Amino acid sequence: MQGFAIALQPMTLLYGFIGCLVGTLVGVLPGIGPALTIALLLPLTFKVPATAIFVLFAGIYYGAMYGGSTTSILLNTPGESATIVTSLEGNKMARRGRAGPALATAAIGSFVAGTIGTIALTFFAPWVVDAALAFGPAEYFSLMLIAFVTVSAVLGGSALRGLISLVAGLLFGLVGIDLQTGQPRFTFGQPEFLDGIEVTIVAVGLFAIGEALFLAWQGKENKKADVLALSGSLWLSKEDFARSWKAWIRGSLFGFPIGAMPAGGAELPTLLSYYTEKKLSKKPEEFGHGAIEGVAGPEAANNAAAAGVLMPLLTLGIPTSATAAIILSAFESYGIQVGPTLFTQQSSLVWTLIASLYIGNVILLVLNLPLVGLWVKLLKIPSQWLYAGIVIISVAGVYGSSNSVFDVGLLFFFGVLGFGMRRFDFPAAPLIIGLILGPMAEQSMRQALTISQGQWSTFFTRPISGTLMAISIALLLVPNVIRLIRNRK
Amino acid sequence: MSARLIASFLLVFCALAVWQVLSIPESTIQSEVGPILAPSILVALLSLLGVFYLFTTISNKASDCTHQEEGRPLKGGSTRVLYMLGGGLAFITLAKVIGFLIPAALCGLGVSMAFDAKFNLKTLLMVFGIAGAFWTLFSAILGVDLGPVVQIPF
Repeated sequence: MQGFAIALQPMTLLYGFIGCLVGTLVGVLPGIGPALTIALLLPLTFKVPATAIFVLFAGIYYGAMYGGSTTSILLNTPGESATIVTSLEGNKMARRGRAGPALATAAIGSFVAGTIGTIALTFFAPWVVDAALAFGPAEYFSLMLIAFVTVSAVLGGSALRGLISLVAGLLFGLVGIDLQTGQPRFTFGQPEFLDGIEVTIVAVGLFAIGEALFLAWQGKENKKADVLALSGSLWLSKEDFARSWKAWIRGSLFGFPIGAMPAGGAELPTLLSYYTEKKLSKKPEEFGHGAIEGVAGPEAANNAAAAGVLMPLLTLGIPTSATAAIILSAFESYGIQVGPTLFTQQSSLVWTLIASLYIGNVILLVLNLPLVGLWVKLLKIPSQWLYAGIVIISVAGVYGSSNSVFDVGLLFFFGVLGFGMRRFDFPAAPLIIGLILGPMAEQSMRQALTISQGQWSTFFTRPISGTLMAISIALLLVPNVIRLIRNRK
Repeated sequence: MSARLIASFLLVFCALAVWQVLSIPESTIQSEVGPILAPSILVALLSLLGVFYLFTTISNKASDCTHQEEGRPLKGGSTRVLYMLGGGLAFITLAKVIGFLIPAALCGLGVSMAFDAKFNLKTLLMVFGIAGAFWTLFSAILGVDLGPVVQIPF
């Protein structure tokens, strides 16, 4: 209740409203995502109080999930893999003159799922915190290893490329002065590297400059499909509502638990939801031609998974997506230790953040549908001005935080790296997560080894740590063993 | 640029990383694990993964978006990339000398031309407008230090 009291204060509400508005905007616009936007806003952590900034970031995070459906439905351009299913049925509905109901079921489904996800977070997070309080450095190191394995080897298309991306990120994370011994590492004799590489530079380089370079190289942005006209009523008919509500609930129930797992992600629950709805539908023949359940379920699953991602982040300090990783670095900027102690030491902040998620969901529902005409207009901004704006704001954000052209050079270096990664299908999220979690993992490993007097077996002999290690190894090996057996057959 | 070239870059990166690991000074502080262990493990792992990746490129199993019809770039892809990088270079070399506005506009011009905008008055006005708007937002309103909007170098 104290969280709601703070979240409902006018200034906090204003930050939440701005976050939702900016989030929807970046969700709608192709080429910008929540990770990039939050990374660009990280310098604000020096000026804005922690509560306000996290309410702002939460609004951006949820808003981007809402906004992504508009692009998928009207432009048939899913911004991320989790919204592919939405575009599959949603765009077909729009082509049949039912864009309004498709957008409405996506928005209401997002609201329902976001609320269910937040309720689940409210009630389950304290349980996870209680369990996690028993963790020592060895357990934390093993837990981070699970996060590394899942984001790199399990969730992506290729374990090899995911692991390369992760290890490169871990190495970038070690650049700078070693905090325990004071020795410089990977600095190439450059004083600019002594403080390490800023997460903002890497995230903005990979997501903004890299993406812009890739799209410019392809040269197809000006030839992309037209934005479909907004057709049909934005209210759901009785039949549409009857076909949607069960799909929203089922989608939410798939999304939250899977999203909360370190190996979860949003792709699996959206696909599960889609196939479940197809199986249960009274009109399965409509699937592939614009079935409303095919939009309602996956969109709900996607949003509930987004709420689920906050669970390991807030309770264990483990980010399982690039956006969560950047939110974690924002906590670090304030000197706040994320993990089980967050709920005891910063309880006011955590509960305000959770309360703001409830309020944000309501704001987004109110904001999304009436303003959909504005979002459609935004989709018509010519790409040469859109990307010029994105690159200039990225350069200004990085240059402004340090007033160093060296950092801008580094930004373009990571931009070129991001371009190469995009072209050759290396995932970016493991690199960001490695960069942020790498130093923490090293610290946990060193603490654990100091406590055990250099005994590496400590990671396997302690029951929780050993179990987590076994899970990591299984996650890394089992898919490959199954593939080998299948190939032999 | 091919996947094999990327694999070679990766291995060169690993060689540089090995050199940097060897350059880390020994710590005088007594500790179970020094500052060299984690970097050594990671560099060894990345080198191993790099070699595996090189093998996948040799056996043509490495993914490249140009292998698919819809992923292939239109003609002039490299020129468009160079326009954009040229814009970035202009900002890096000029920002400290002549202030934020002109280098940022040149950077925006490079990006616009990379997205097939024509070099004409409208484009120039647009990029100067965008650069000016962001300077106003960041520097004048949010108080972020972007330096002077225009600076005379002499």
